[in-house]
Amino acid sequence: MPGEIELSEDLREYLDRLPDLDLDLLIEAYRRPLPTSFRVNTLKMDEREILEMLVERGLSFRKIPWARYGYVVEDESIDLGKTIEHMLGLIYIQAPISMVPVEVLDPKPGEKVLDLCAAPGSKSTQIAQLLGGVGVLVANDISFERVKALASNLQRFGVLNVIVTLMDGRKFPRFARGCFDKVLVDAPCSSLGIVSKNWGIARSWSPEIAKRLSKTQRQLIVAGFDCLKPGGELVYATCTLTVEENEMVIQYLLEKRESAILAEIELSSLRYRRGIVEWDDMRFDEELRKTIRIMPYDNWAEGFYVARILKEGDS
Amino acid sequence: MKLINLRERKFLENRLRSLYGVEAGFGDLVLIKCGRGRIRATTKETLELASRLRGIQQIGLYVMKVANGDISLSVEGSQLLGDEIRSNVIKLDEGQVEKWMKAIPIKMEITYRGRYVVGKFNGLYLGSARVSKNGLLYPQIPKWRRIPVARTQNNKHNRSP
Repeated sequence: MPGEIELSEDLREYLDRLPDLDLDLLIEAYRRPLPTSFRVNTLKMDEREILEMLVERGLSFRKIPWARYGYVVEDESIDLGKTIEHMLGLIYIQAPISMVPVEVLDPKPGEKVLDLCAAPGSKSTQIAQLLGGVGVLVANDISFERVKALASNLQRFGVLNVIVTLMDGRKFPRFARGCFDKVLVDAPCSSLGIVSKNWGIARSWSPEIAKRLSKTQRQLIVAGFDCLKPGGELVYATCTLTVEENEMVIQYLLEKRESAILAEIELSSLRYRRGIVEWDDMRFDEELRKTIRIMPYDNWAEGFYVARILKEGDS
Repeated sequence: MKLINLRERKFLENRLRSLYGVEAGFGDLVLIKCGRGRIRATTKETLELASRLRGIQQIGLYVMKVANGDISLSVEGSQLLGDEIRSNVIKLDEGQVEKWMKAIPIKMEITYRGRYVVGKFNGLYLGSARVSKNGLLYPQIPKWRRIPVARTQNNKHNRSP
């Protein structure tokens, strides 16, 4: 990309205040393009057979250690998006850290899973793959245009046991309270973890954006939590770095719902740091250390925040 | 969206048998009509949960289109039936698959029964193609999932001003 990345004054000042952040490394990560990675679709064909087809095509790749079925492309000379394997749904192009939230959610065959903010469907297809055709996935989004992309991706991936809904996720508990074993809230966010895709994000960021999104995220996480059965599990994820959109959202849920308990996250070979418990003049619940922050320079990929929350009670 | 009744299901199974040699049909999957002859398939459990929800845009997989007694299988519909499909299957080589996925007509020497055939490559089914009287196959790949056709210099010149 030509030129120099530009951070808004507000953003520079904000990032300076964030603990455990190396601004020079962050800017370096923003400058680098994201690695191309994909998942193989075991709903359609055996993993080994798909990999053999890709090798025959001349593609070289290596396994992503934290994602079942995930691979990073080592040679970018082939446009994966134009391959037969992609068009047939044998592979799904998805960034490497974006695979983390569903790995943490760990859907099992037979479960009922809700993806509350599902479009364009990367994580929904990943959930469907781990369900293995047994159980039900509900993939919801608020935008009609985005739902069209979601529906196309689920079709190409060959998902039978799916319901696509178009709805404001905050209204979901009105008719689906206590319905799901697992819920993913991959909330809309200010996207500071994926600036390398679009430098404009860093130029136009302001604290007001984070505050406005934080309000929506709080409503979404409570709605998602209310859709869980007792004993169920929710994963909250964003691809941003602000405390307002991450730790403060989890703190809000813990205060609003007594049955919400944070759980540890363990992923092999992924570099990350623990959630923040002190920031400005605020002190959060110590349990927030169980949440994880992944900086873009930790793995030279996207930045993400992930929290795993259990709902007390017998399933 | 409307569930397919027993009589309609029997009709579909008969047509699948006579056109593609499919004996077991879609087994215990639920079939749903979703307008303009399109049929989707899903599981009973999925349908049960759907009865509780609002704002539903679609359920399950689009598997086939029925028009004038003919059945055109979608890519996923044919993959779901897999080796149950015993007739009107054509094996494609890599070059033909590329054309198929670009929805470019393919010339074949053999004549087939019926108006549709199913493509197969490397053990994988690729949905139906319509057979024309002059032996050309027109793959029924929807626009959104076609491999984009590269625009050649020639094509550029041929475009209207």
